[in-house]
Amino acid sequence: MAKEVMRRTAGDNPYLHRDFHGALSAGIEHLHQAYGEQAVREYLWQFARAFYAPLTEALRRRGLVALEEHFRKVYALEGGEVRFTRSDDELRIEVDACPAVAHLRSRGYPVARLFRETSATVNRAICHDTPFAAELLAYDEQTGRSIQRFYRIRP
Amino acid sequence: MIPCTEFIPAYSELFKYLEARGGREAVERFWEHLADRFLDNLRSAVQEHGLRGCWLYWSHTLSEEAADFTMELDEDAGVFRITMHHCPSMGRLLELDHVEPYHDYCRHCDVLYRRVLEPLGYRYALDLSRCREARCELTVTTGNVAP
Repeated sequence: MAKEVMRRTAGDNPYLHRDFHGALSAGIEHLHQAYGEQAVREYLWQFARAFYAPLTEALRRRGLVALEEHFRKVYALEGGEVRFTRSDDELRIEVDACPAVAHLRSRGYPVARLFRETSATVNRAICHDTPFAAELLAYDEQTGRSIQRFYRIRP
Repeated sequence: MIPCTEFIPAYSELFKYLEARGGREAVERFWEHLADRFLDNLRSAVQEHGLRGCWLYWSHTLSEEAADFTMELDEDAGVFRITMHHCPSMGRLLELDHVEPYHDYCRHCDVLYRRVLEPLGYRYALDLSRCREARCELTVTTGNVAP
């Protein structure tokens, strides 16, 4: 049988490996089992504070429009029906079905019991030390349908 | 939601968190857990197709990850090889100037794939000597061929 060779460069394909959602879900579930619920929130908090530090800074400087831009890019990339409503003091994101959860379900990957924290904790961490706060107003465990709210903290 | 394009930094930070909680052993345990629970697609591809299963598995994943690589399959010689010219994962981590990659990030590829392939009778070698340049070389051979 002849030797086969495949050569690819970074520009040959878009960067979109959805199975990474499965690995993240497995990681969260592993943390939950090994160290408990608080460890999941602590890990996601630390990750978000470090990785999203530039987004937090943009939120401080530019307000909620920075968050809206970020999440529009995220959902445009991942797909799914999403509605944004924004004023100076509030941003509301209504997601009909979380693209990550939809991928996990479609591939039969387990959805971590605390997968919702990838929104709830991460959003709170992004807002930490800014004039804004975040809350998850609704979340459906089966589909990841959610209502995420970011709002200006009243003194 | 953390998009899949931001998974790699999340993964790297998870390794750091695990190490802070339980030392390097905790990180190793997680990698083993992931190999056992999450790599069934590689395991079943190799069980069904032999060395070609590696080709099928990585041609899919590396394409979705937009990797810069050369992949070779020589079934007569019993050799499968990936020469990674620029790893999309380590490459992304190295590009971040506000987050430091987990110090042993690349070794998860050694633990995960070795744990799947060696029990199936294959030999596995991963040269990570240039991983800080986002380069590596992965070789899988049939049991009688040295990698």
